[in-house]
Amino acid sequence: MSAEKQSCSRCNYIFSQRKSNSVQYTLAWTIAAIIMFIPANIYPMMVFYTLGRPESSTILEGIASFIQQGLYPIAFIIFIASFVIPLGKIIGLLILLYNTKSHSRISKQKQTKMYYLIASLGPWSMLDVFVVSVMAAAVNFGFFTSIEAGSGITYFTLMVIFTIFAAESFDPRLLWDIERRNINER
Amino acid sequence: MNDTNSLDELIACLHCDTLATSPSLAAGETALCPCCGNKLFSRKKDSINRTMAISLAGLMLLFPAITLPIIGVGVAGKYNDASLVDCIMLMINDDFYIIAFSVFLFTIAIPSVKIFSAFYLSYKIKRKQISSSLLIFYRSYHLFDSWAMIHVFFLGIIVSIYKLISLDELTVGSGLISLLLLLLCSTLISITIDQKLIWDTLESEFAPKS
Repeated sequence: MSAEKQSCSRCNYIFSQRKSNSVQYTLAWTIAAIIMFIPANIYPMMVFYTLGRPESSTILEGIASFIQQGLYPIAFIIFIASFVIPLGKIIGLLILLYNTKSHSRISKQKQTKMYYLIASLGPWSMLDVFVVSVMAAAVNFGFFTSIEAGSGITYFTLMVIFTIFAAESFDPRLLWDIERRNINER
Repeated sequence: MNDTNSLDELIACLHCDTLATSPSLAAGETALCPCCGNKLFSRKKDSINRTMAISLAGLMLLFPAITLPIIGVGVAGKYNDASLVDCIMLMINDDFYIIAFSVFLFTIAIPSVKIFSAFYLSYKIKRKQISSSLLIFYRSYHLFDSWAMIHVFFLGIIVSIYKLISLDELTVGSGLISLLLLLLCSTLISITIDQKLIWDTLESEFAPKS
């Protein structure tokens, strides 16, 4: 493959055989997301003021209060969207990154499916951010009752954005490259 | 590599990079990758007309969906309703600039660009006025694929309604209906738009000089 830059005859975009520095970028974004995951879960997502008395709740506290109130479907949705999916994405991307370097027992088809699942689930993690912003705008009665966003929400949003960047910069074809290398060596 | 005709007949799989000979499909059929089974492309029925109609409807719904109140809450005689713009303004007032920016980007800016791109592309292709700006529009359409989040925002509203249902008074406004219809339009666009047809049309116009 020549180093000279060629552009696509369809969209005029510059060609590259694989996304450049895919593994490094993906790893960097994933680490950034892991760092953001910690404050996102420690600091409160939402502060609920009743008669001036603040009552803050983090992601997991919010889910626990839903379970206490008996709102199981909502608790389940929030738990999946704001806890399971981000964590699953981070772990999944780390597994995929590892598999571009070494051979694994999981079939390449399954790994590729896993990547596209990770990539397509990305936006759903923003659910909690939207919920908080809608509720903060709707319940806004000053001193009497109001809902405000907590400081954790900024870290949470950044974490979600970082995981989307990580998934976008990963090149699933790298997973197949190792297979081809093995065939050539035989 | 000199034989350009046979190169045009080849298609590479997006998942595993396998080269396959591109079959010619009738409307409504789908081609799959022989190696990993991923969808290569599909030929859609009446794609250009349908995309144009739906994206025009989507463009008309944008303004009401953004500005009309979505939900209203009444507590002890006081009433307050919130639209999408109110959500963003409130976040700016509370100094959550990153949240305000990302809500604006993911629910207003990017969906608008996507719907407008779909409309502009289908209109221009229908009128056979193909210019190089279409390339930029269509590339942006692909670039923003994973960043349009109206569907997530809509689920967010439903969750909020569930959370607030215990309050004295809860109303849903016309913004919610507009937003639902907008969501329907943007989903339908991704169903009706025929990516390969558009690329083929654009490519035949800007054929490589070699």
